[in-house]
Amino acid sequence: MERIKIALTKGRTEDQVVPLLEAAGINCEGLRNKQRRLIFDEDPRYEIILVKGPDVLTYLNNGSVQIGIVGSDILTEQENFQYAMLDLDVGRCRFVLASTKDFNPQAHRRKIIATKYPNITKRYFKGIGEDVEIIRIEGSVELAPLIGLADAIVDIVETGNTLRENNLQIFAKLQPVNTKVVVNRLALRQYQPQIKALIASLQRADQQMVQAKLIKE
Amino acid sequence: MKNKNLPSGTRDEFGTEAEVKETIQNKLFKTFRQRGFRKLTTPVLEYSDVFQPLSAENYRPYQLLDEQGEPLVLRPDLTLPVARVMSTTGIELPVKWYYGGDVFRVKKQLSGSYNQLTQAGIEIVGYKGLKADWECLEVALAGCQDMAIKNVTIELSHAKFVDTLIEQLALPEPTKESLKQALFDKDLSKYNQLSEPFERTPYSRFISEWPWLFGDFDKVMAVAATLPEIKPLQPIIANLKATAAFIHQLFPKANVTLDLSIPSPQSYYTGMAFRGFTDKSAGYLFSGGRYDDLLTNFQNVKTSAVGVAFDVDALVERTNFPDDTPTALIFFNADQWAQAEATLAEVPNSTLCLTDNFEAAQQLAASTNSRLIDLTKAGEKNGTN
Repeated sequence: MERIKIALTKGRTEDQVVPLLEAAGINCEGLRNKQRRLIFDEDPRYEIILVKGPDVLTYLNNGSVQIGIVGSDILTEQENFQYAMLDLDVGRCRFVLASTKDFNPQAHRRKIIATKYPNITKRYFKGIGEDVEIIRIEGSVELAPLIGLADAIVDIVETGNTLRENNLQIFAKLQPVNTKVVVNRLALRQYQPQIKALIASLQRADQQMVQAKLIKE
Repeated sequence: MKNKNLPSGTRDEFGTEAEVKETIQNKLFKTFRQRGFRKLTTPVLEYSDVFQPLSAENYRPYQLLDEQGEPLVLRPDLTLPVARVMSTTGIELPVKWYYGGDVFRVKKQLSGSYNQLTQAGIEIVGYKGLKADWECLEVALAGCQDMAIKNVTIELSHAKFVDTLIEQLALPEPTKESLKQALFDKDLSKYNQLSEPFERTPYSRFISEWPWLFGDFDKVMAVAATLPEIKPLQPIIANLKATAAFIHQLFPKANVTLDLSIPSPQSYYTGMAFRGFTDKSAGYLFSGGRYDDLLTNFQNVKTSAVGVAFDVDALVERTNFPDDTPTALIFFNADQWAQAEATLAEVPNSTLCLTDNFEAAQQLAASTNSRLIDLTKAGEKNGTN
C-alpha cells in the first residue's frame, strides 16, 4: 500500500506533536534523532516531512502530501480551503493585542500595529470597527512597541513569559490558536480507509493526553 | 523587450506536451461532434457580472476595465458564458453545445499553481430528465476510455441532499447552519460536538458517520438506508441509485462512489453532480452536474441544463507521452521541390531540410539524430553517403 505523506510543521508544533504521534502508534524514532534529515520513513505506513508552517499548505494544496499538521494561526492567515478535520489539544495558545503599560486602546487616533499576522490583525480591528496601520514584522515582534516602531503588537502568546520579560501587557484577547490536522480534499477520497484510521487514532491519543494532563494537574 | 519573464502562474507549452494537449482536445471535439453536439465559442473577455453566481473563493478572476470603466474579467469559467448566450439569444430548445478553451483564475502567488487552465466540455440545455445527466456521464467516461485512462473513479453526489436532510432535523436554525458548515469543512472536532443531540435518535447512525459518508456506493447507501423515511429524499436517492446502475451497465470497469457529505459544487447546482479522478491524479479529470435554475431563456423562463467539463491539463498529465520517434531530414535542391514534397508525403516523421549545402545537412542530421534522405545525390558524388 502506498505511504501517506504527512507534512509536519517543524519547531514548536513538531515538539508537541511527536509525543502525540507516538501515542497514536506511529514510529517516530527518526524524528527523535533526526540530525539533518527532513524526510522520515521509519513507519512503513507514513512518510513524514518537516517543513515550515506556511509551507504546509503549499505542499498540501499541490497534492504533494496528503496530510498537514499545522497551527490554526497559519491556516487563518493563509485562508485554507482544505479539510481542517481535527483540533488537537496540544499547542493551545492565543492571539493577543499587547503593548507597554502606557498604551491607551481608546486613544482617538489611527494606531500603528506591528505583527507577523497582518490578515488576522486586519480582521480583528475591522471587527471592532477600527482602522489601523499594520506593519509586518518577521520576528521578535515584542520589540516594536519598545523601540517605538508601533503602538502595539498582535502576536501569539502561550505562557505570557516573553511578554512579561519585555514589560508588555495584554490589552485584548483575540482568537485562540491550536494545532490542526488538515487533509487534502482529493486525497481524503483516494486514501479514505488509511486516513480515517489515522484520524481516529490521533483523536484517541489526543483525548488520552488531555486526560493524563488533567490527572497530573 | 525589457521584461522577458512570464507572469506568475502562467507557462509556455511546446513540443510533445503542446502536441499531446492538441491531440486530446481534437479527440474530445471529434467525439462531441459525432454525438451531434454543436460548437459554441464565447470570448475570453466578459463583463464581470456574468460570473456573479460563482463563489469567490476558488474563482478569483483577472480584472480590467473597458473604455467606459465597466469591470471586465478574463473568464474564470465556461458554463456561465453559455448561460449568458442562452438568455440573450432566441436559440430554440433543446440544444446540445460543446466548447473548449482556457479559463483564468488568480491563485495564490508563487504557490506553483497555474492560473490558466484548459477545459473542454458540453452543456445539454432543455432536457429535464435523467437521460441528459446520463449522456454527460457517458461522454465523460467514454472520453477517459478513449484516452486510455484506467482506474477511473466516478463520484456521484446531489446538490440538494444535505439541505433536504438538515431541514428535517429538530434543531434551531443557527445550529443547523453550524452543523452543515462543520460537515462541509469536515471539521470533526466541531461536528462531533454539534451532533451529540442525535445520539439515541433514529438518526444517530447516519449522523455519527455523516462526515465519512463518501466512498463505496453500496456501503454509503447502506448507511443512508438507516435513516427514517423522509419523503423529499426519496427521489434523490432513487436517481442516484438508477445512475449508479446505469454506469455499472455501460462501464463495468468504472469505480462508482457516492458522497452524501459535500456541498453543491456551486450554489447554482440543483440536481446530481459528479466528478472523476484516478488514484494518482492530483486533481479531478472531469466534473459536472445539473443546474436547472441558472439558465433562463430569452423570455426569462428557467431552463433545465446539465453539463460536464474535462480538465484538459489533468488529462495531459495522465497521458503517457509517446517516445520521440527518429525523424528523417529530406535534403534537396530548390529545383527538386516537387520531388521533396512527394518524399515528405511518403516518409512518416520526415521534414524538409532547408540547409543550403549537403555538409550542413549532414551536421544537422548528426546533431538531431535523424536519418538523412539526400535527393541531390551530393553524398554519392562525394563518396560519403
